[in-house]
Formats: sequence, C-alpha cells, structure tokens
Amino acid sequence: MSELVAQQVLNALALGGVYALLGLGLAMVFSVLGMINFAHGELMTFTGYALIFLSATLGWPFFLAVFAAFAVAAASAALIERVAFRPVRGASLTTMLLTTFAISSILHVVFQNFISPRPIAVAIPDWLTSTAQFSGLRIGMLQCISLGVTVVALIGLTVFLRFSITGLAMRAAAQDFSITRLMGIPANRVIVTAFAISGLLAGLSGFLWVAQRGSVDPLMGFVPVLKAFIAVVLGGLGSLPGAVLGGFLLGFLEVLLRAMLPSELLPFRDAISLSIIITILVLRPNGLLGRAEAVR
Amino acid sequence: MKLFQKNNRAAAALATVAMIGTPALAQDNDLKIGFAVSLTGYLAPYDTPTVEGAQIAIKELNENGGAAGQFAIEAMVRDVRSDTVQTSIVVQELIDAGADVIVLPCDDDPAIAGGLVAQDAGIPMFSTCATNASLTAAIGDFYFVNYVADIVQGATLAQFAREEGLSNAYLLVSPETTYTGNLPLYFGEVFETLGGSVVDTGTYSFGQQDFSAEVTQIASLNPQPDVIMTSAYEPDFPAFLRQLRAAGVTAAVYGSDGIDSPTTSGLGDVSEGVVFTNAGFPVEGTRLAAFFDAYAAHYDRPLSNSFAATGYDMMLVISEAIRVAGGTDGAALRDAIANTDGLEVSTGEISYLDRNRVPARSVSLNRITGGAITHVDTRVIASDLLPESK
Repeated sequence: MSELVAQQVLNALALGGVYALLGLGLAMVFSVLGMINFAHGELMTFTGYALIFLSATLGWPFFLAVFAAFAVAAASAALIERVAFRPVRGASLTTMLLTTFAISSILHVVFQNFISPRPIAVAIPDWLTSTAQFSGLRIGMLQCISLGVTVVALIGLTVFLRFSITGLAMRAAAQDFSITRLMGIPANRVIVTAFAISGLLAGLSGFLWVAQRGSVDPLMGFVPVLKAFIAVVLGGLGSLPGAVLGGFLLGFLEVLLRAMLPSELLPFRDAISLSIIITILVLRPNGLLGRAEAVR
Repeated sequence: MKLFQKNNRAAAALATVAMIGTPALAQDNDLKIGFAVSLTGYLAPYDTPTVEGAQIAIKELNENGGAAGQFAIEAMVRDVRSDTVQTSIVVQELIDAGADVIVLPCDDDPAIAGGLVAQDAGIPMFSTCATNASLTAAIGDFYFVNYVADIVQGATLAQFAREEGLSNAYLLVSPETTYTGNLPLYFGEVFETLGGSVVDTGTYSFGQQDFSAEVTQIASLNPQPDVIMTSAYEPDFPAFLRQLRAAGVTAAVYGSDGIDSPTTSGLGDVSEGVVFTNAGFPVEGTRLAAFFDAYAAHYDRPLSNSFAATGYDMMLVISEAIRVAGGTDGAALRDAIANTDGLEVSTGEISYLDRNRVPARSVSLNRITGGAITHVDTRVIASDLLPESK
C-alpha cells in the first residue's frame, strides 16, 4: 500500500514538473507585459513539428534535433512578438488578449492546411520511454527527465534573473515598466528576451509533452496552455515562483484525485480539482504567492 | 456606344433566358451533393479523407455518365470548422443551393444540428463517420449512418476477444464523447454475454497525457485483466499504452478505429500485438486494395486509413439508390437507400435493409505485428449479437 502511495507521489511530481514549466512560460511574459499569451501552446506545437522535420525529414541525430527544436521555439516566440504583439503594445489589455487568441487560431489553420490535419508520429528513442525499478517503485526515464529539466530550468532562470543585467531589468519591469524605461532600459530588449525565454520553456515542455504522446497534431497546444493558465492563476499572476508552485499543486491534485476517488466519482475529478482551486482562490484572491499590487 | 448597350442588353436577355432554362434541365440530370464537413478544426482528420474518397467516386461515376449512369454529380464542399452552429447554417445554405443529398461532419453534435435542418427539408443525409447508432432516432428517418457503428465495432471486438480465449476485461472510457464513452461498454456487454467478465472500468479525460494514476491501479488489480479495451485515440492512446507497458502490464490491448493511424504502428515494441477494428484492410487483390491505389494515384500520396474508402462507398450507395429511385426526389431516395441490400462496395458488402438505417458492413480486425498493421479477419457481425445503442 505504501508503495502504491509512493508511486503516485512520484507520478504527481513528474506531472507537476511539466505543468510548472508550462506555467513559468506564461508567467514570464505576464510579468513583463501583464498579458497571458494564449498562443503559448502553439509554440509547443512548433517544437514538435521542428523535431519531426529535423530528425525524420533531414535525418539529424535525435539530440541535435531536440536542441535545435528548442531554438526554433525560442526564435518563433521572439518573431511572434515582433510581428504580432509589438504593433499593439500600447493598446488595451483586451486587444492584446484577442491578439494572442488570433495568433493561436491562425497557427492552427496554418498547421492544418500546410502540414496535415492528422497527427504525425514522432520517432522517440526507446531508452527515453523506458522504466527502471527501485525497490518496487517504477521510475520512468521521461519522468526523471521531466523532474530534472524542471529543476535545471528553475535554477537557470533564478540565476539569470538575479545576476544578469537583463534579468535585473526584467525584474524591474515586472515591478514597474514605465519607471524601468525611464532608467534607460530599452523596452524592446526586455520584452523580446521575455518572449524568447518563454519560447524556450514552451520548447522544453513541448518536447516532454510530445515524447509522452508520440505524435504532433495541429491542435495539441490547447490543453497544456489551459493547464498552464490554471497553474499561473493558482500560484498568483505575475509571480514566477508562484507559477512553479501552482504547477506542482495542480499536478498533485490531478494525480491524487485520479488515484483516490471511487470509480463512480472519477468522471467528476476535473470538476472537483477545479472546485478545490476555486476555494483556494476565494481564500487567497491573488493566488498563493501573488501580491495585491502586482495587478496592473 | 448606344449600339453596344443595345447589344449588351440583348446579350443579357439571352443570358437570363439561358439561366432560367438551365436549372429546369439541371434538376432532371444533376445530382448535387452538399458536403457540410470540417476541413478545419478537430474533426478535420476524419472528414477530410472521407470527402477525398467521395471525390474519387464522383470523378469515376461522372466519367461513366454520372450517378446511375445519367445524373451528373456536382460536389458542393463547404467548411463548417468542426462547429455545431456553423454546421446548421451551412446545411441550410446547401439546401438553398439545391443539394439533393447532405453529408454531415463526423461527430454527434454537429451531425444532429445540421441533420435536423436537412430532416425538415426532407433531404437524405449521411454523416461522414459519426458512429453513434442513436443518431437515427435523434435526427429522423432521412438520416443514415455511413461508417461502422459503435455497437458493431464493440460486438466484433468482444467476439474476437472471446475467440482468443480472453476472459477478464478492463474497460477504459471517457464520458466526453459517446464514442469513447460507450463503445468499450458495448464491448463489455457482449463480452459478458459470451461468457467473459469485466473486472473494472476506469475513466480518463481527453488530452490528459498522464495515465500514471490509472496505470498504477490497473497494475494492482486482482485478478489481472487479460484484455484491456478502450476507444481512446491520439494523443491519449499512445500515452496510455506506453505507460501501461512501462508499468509491466502485459494484458492484450484492444482498440477501435480511432487508433487506425500510423502513430499507433510507429510506437515500436509497446504497440506489438494491439488489436483494433476498422472499416477495411487493403488485402492484396481486393477491391479495397485497388481503391488504395486509386487514392494514391489521384492525390499523389499514400492513403493511411480506411475513412476515405467509406467516403467512396457512400457515393456508391447514393448512386445505386438514385438508380432504384429513378430520380433525386428526397423521399424516394430515402426509401431506396433504406432498402439497399448486399451492395458491393470497396470495403466489402453493405446493407441498410431492416437495420434501422445503421448499415451492416464488413469490419476488419487487425493486429499490429512488427511495427506494421496486419489483417486478421474481415467479418459482418450477426445482428442478434448487437447490443442496444445507448
């Protein structure tokens, strides 16, 4: 019995890690622009297609293709910012939000019409989906990688934000963008960097997501971005550690409810997990780590 | 200049006469098929190939004089974007444009929305691949199921599982659609009728990706199931299967036509032995194999599943019904389709007679062996084994 519990906790940690990466990607852009980028999921789809194109069509070695796909995700995020978001930067939040939805829909149609409406299989090396046994506990390679990547990404991001000039500028921008600009920090650089990092995080989580599902399809970005949104709101909009905490909490809630609910209640588990989240938000309206003044 | 205008007017008058003249002619010799289908959105992977298959049949029939050799077929294809409201609007537009037969999207909700409009207009209709037999009651007597119905797939799989000597089943369902929610239950019902038992039923959500909790539970079941049946498809099925095998569960896995996709066979070792049904397998030398070749030649890319073949078959059914009815009158056409019996089509035989507009059509049982789909059997299930559609 305790083995079963330990196994489920491990499962929850691995799932939470992916949600945390996703949430961080959204929170990154939100902290600078105060906008949720709903086209974030499409960056994951980009990563998947890039991976297929580089590894299957061009025949690149798998690892090289994976890292190149990360770069593609980061570059496309920066490109989307330049093409779509910069022209509407001064506009109202509603306009920006609608722009993110528009980008997401346009990319869906582009993927469906120029790539394929059907899912395309990704050849994932066997070792990546293998499992190891440790005293009755099964640990999947992918689960280990999820956890590892989350930890490395968190440490890397913290170091970047604390110790680099651009990182400092981004933290300042998150506090008050106008004052930061008056201090001589170029707005474009801060924003493009935020998008590129967000794209890189989408690439990381996109790879983990694709490795688990084995295929890429045009609409695959929708569910993850929704989960990420929940994680970010739960953790507190604008707070990067909050996004991570929210992601892990969401992962735990989902796995534990699925494991513990009696079978007649199982179909309601999403409703139950969302009700729990709403209860938390009623008690803490700004999220777990959100600050009241962070709302701009 | 004046002269010119006069001439123009005369030309316009002539054109008007011609325009008034043609529809009268057209009504006699034209068969307009209104496709209210999803070329974009979540149903595009299913509707698109079905329409492609139908287009091949239309081309072939038109080369031989049209449907029943005398009704030139015109395809009016409109995108409903997998949207329910859009489907009913587009169906109305198609009816206004003179559609004689309507083709609806692959899912229950849009099919019902558009179907009710066509039912009111008394126009026969098919859904590309909605497999819920209850739609015939929800929409009305002008609606016909085209694809292999859920009850048929569930019963066929259960019969085969029993023949393979499997006796304990675990069902994985998702209540989000009738397909993923009910097909495994039909399987379970027939499986129990034939002497097997269902040990447990689990649920999942679309796109949940992480099946660790469900898989951990399956692994701890006692007795262990020897067959796991689910109608999950991409991306859920590959994720589930990988995690199931990683957890050391070795039970047979049975699925339905949703996993008829290159992704499933491309999963490597984990998909070895997976059994699934679909509308047909292109066994060499059969009419279906010839259709697969025709598709590849027409679209310059290989066909990777059987949806296109059922689109092709649907046009053959319509053509035969036109021959019997002798025209495009809605009610006569409906009766002719309902009386179709043993018509030879690309996937085998199809009959609507005495089946309440749910066709008896061949179902192919396939197994994944060595990374490729191999054909096990093609059969038409006896109607007394079919469960009641929910």
